[in-house]
Amino acid sequence: MLLNLEAVTKSFGGFQLHPLTLSIEKGEFFSLLGPSGCGKTTVLRLIGGFEMPTSGKVILNGRDITQLPPHKRSVHTVFQRYALFPHLTVWENVAFPLHLKKLPSAEIAQRVEECLKLVEILDLQDRRTHQISGGQAQRTALARALVGKPDLLLLDEPLSALDPELRMKMREELKAICKKVGITFLLVTHDQEEALQLSDRIAVFKAGQCLQVGTPKTIYEDPAEPFVARFIGAVNEIPGEIQGEAAPETGEVGLVSPLGTFKLKKNGQPLPQSVSVILRPEKMRLLRSKSTTQENLMEGEIQDLTYLGSRTEYSVKIGPSVFKVFEQELERLKKRRLNVGDRVFLAWRSEDAIILAQNS
Amino acid sequence: MKRTSLIPSSAWVFLIWLILMTLLPFTLILAMSFLQRSDLGTIVFSLSFNNYEQLLDWVYLRVLLKTLWLALMATVSCLCIGFPVAYFLARVQGPMKSIGLILLFIPFWTNFILRIYGIVSLFGTNGLLNQTLLAFGLSKVSILYTRWGVYLGLVYNYLPFLVVPIYSSLEKLDPFLREAASDLGATRFQTFRKVIVPNIKEGVFIGSLFVFIPMLGEYVIPDLLGGAKEAFLGKVMVEQFFVLQDWPLGSAIATVLSVLLLGALWLQNRWSQKNQAQSEGLFHAI
Repeated sequence: MLLNLEAVTKSFGGFQLHPLTLSIEKGEFFSLLGPSGCGKTTVLRLIGGFEMPTSGKVILNGRDITQLPPHKRSVHTVFQRYALFPHLTVWENVAFPLHLKKLPSAEIAQRVEECLKLVEILDLQDRRTHQISGGQAQRTALARALVGKPDLLLLDEPLSALDPELRMKMREELKAICKKVGITFLLVTHDQEEALQLSDRIAVFKAGQCLQVGTPKTIYEDPAEPFVARFIGAVNEIPGEIQGEAAPETGEVGLVSPLGTFKLKKNGQPLPQSVSVILRPEKMRLLRSKSTTQENLMEGEIQDLTYLGSRTEYSVKIGPSVFKVFEQELERLKKRRLNVGDRVFLAWRSEDAIILAQNS
Repeated sequence: MKRTSLIPSSAWVFLIWLILMTLLPFTLILAMSFLQRSDLGTIVFSLSFNNYEQLLDWVYLRVLLKTLWLALMATVSCLCIGFPVAYFLARVQGPMKSIGLILLFIPFWTNFILRIYGIVSLFGTNGLLNQTLLAFGLSKVSILYTRWGVYLGLVYNYLPFLVVPIYSSLEKLDPFLREAASDLGATRFQTFRKVIVPNIKEGVFIGSLFVFIPMLGEYVIPDLLGGAKEAFLGKVMVEQFFVLQDWPLGSAIATVLSVLLLGALWLQNRWSQKNQAQSEGLFHAI
């Protein structure tokens, strides 16, 4: 393991970071995901050395660095607002950490050039920091943090200040650069799409607590808590009670909810009595008529629809609740377009339901 | 088409005030500096550079050099005291910051003469300092009515005017620069030397200039704290006007001082224009 956090806590003001134990592997692209104020930035600052934990240990490469100041850690940071030195040129900014190490100037020149090439800003090397755009400043900050070859690179919402188009481009590059340089990246972000696209693994935070650590697929398909499910994408929720024993041949149990009675597939673990069933909008289908299907069905009325080209997003009113359904228009031309006010049936398969305890 | 005026109407009040109170007297002083004084003390209308030639006399040059030296010393002292204060105020958070800032601004709200007499009561012949020295069986020191009195008065009075610009340039500095430097391997001292100082030196320089120049023309401080012996440029100038009745020569000194001040303003202006040009470069880059 490259980095181990051992029961790290931090309290300040009204905030409290619950004991956090986390391991990050070498070469991994790891993300800390959560809404603002959830403590993800605090974790980053604890690792960077800008804050000292209230208790617990930070272990980097097997060495306890909990009490070390930032300049003694082999951890470099790409700051949210870049924090480039305004009195230096792009080249000088990138050379800054190498000058501090008092490396021979030939080596500095070579390594700076290498890094500037990596982030594709070699032609800007003589510019001042106020003469470059946000995207270029981002690249400079990245080069400056990479040039010292740290064991771990921390990225604090690095793409949040960029416009959407540039952000998409930088995401791809960031991922490519991580794999190319072989340095472990630790990203802090509130953007779930960004985390899904970039990360090998994600830790989801809420109110100072790490709720789940897993691959993007696990986090999305198998969230540990309703909050994780809600944060990582759009959800439909059906609260209800589990009824009866699982049928031996199908493994299905009954769900009694205000919206009707449905079948659920039991995945081995014992189910709590009160559950929250979570359905992803893209895992539901719209039917014009009640067909003979094994799927669960709910009848409702289309309240709203948004055509987005690659998919159409529907809001379907069922009883007191509104369900979101994303449909890709695969059967081009064949299907008559649905309109607001149409009566439809929502179909979903019992195995697509995410069953979680209802408490949170 | 609506006729657009070059000057907005609201600016006229200020403009008239500026012309009447600044530009007009300044022009009169400038004109007078080329005139002559008669033996009776009246003004003779004959154009010449006599007054300026007179200023090249060693008597006046010595005063000028002494004044420059004293003002320079006082400015450097203000820097030495003011920088750590400004640095502390910029770094500290919470109630200490508010208290510090209030303490910094109290002198601005206190009457100038009152502050000068504060110094007199502390450092005068029978002031607190000398009484303390006597109490410990030491001999009195005379600070007041020497050049040290002037020096002390200058430092004391101008210190806040230097702390404020240094403080504001430190405040303007992105706090993450400090973290970034530390993150990239800089010790606290290296951060200070390689990041903080280069980024504020301009503000510090301009701040110093704006303390230094008015010090040269200072009249009240050398008059009240320097006594009769200590010649100081501003004091000599006022004496020309009101004691020796040589208005033309006094005007020449005033003109020299004003030129120095304008030079400083021009320097500062050029500097900020250079910076502006740099930030305009940003738009070309985008």
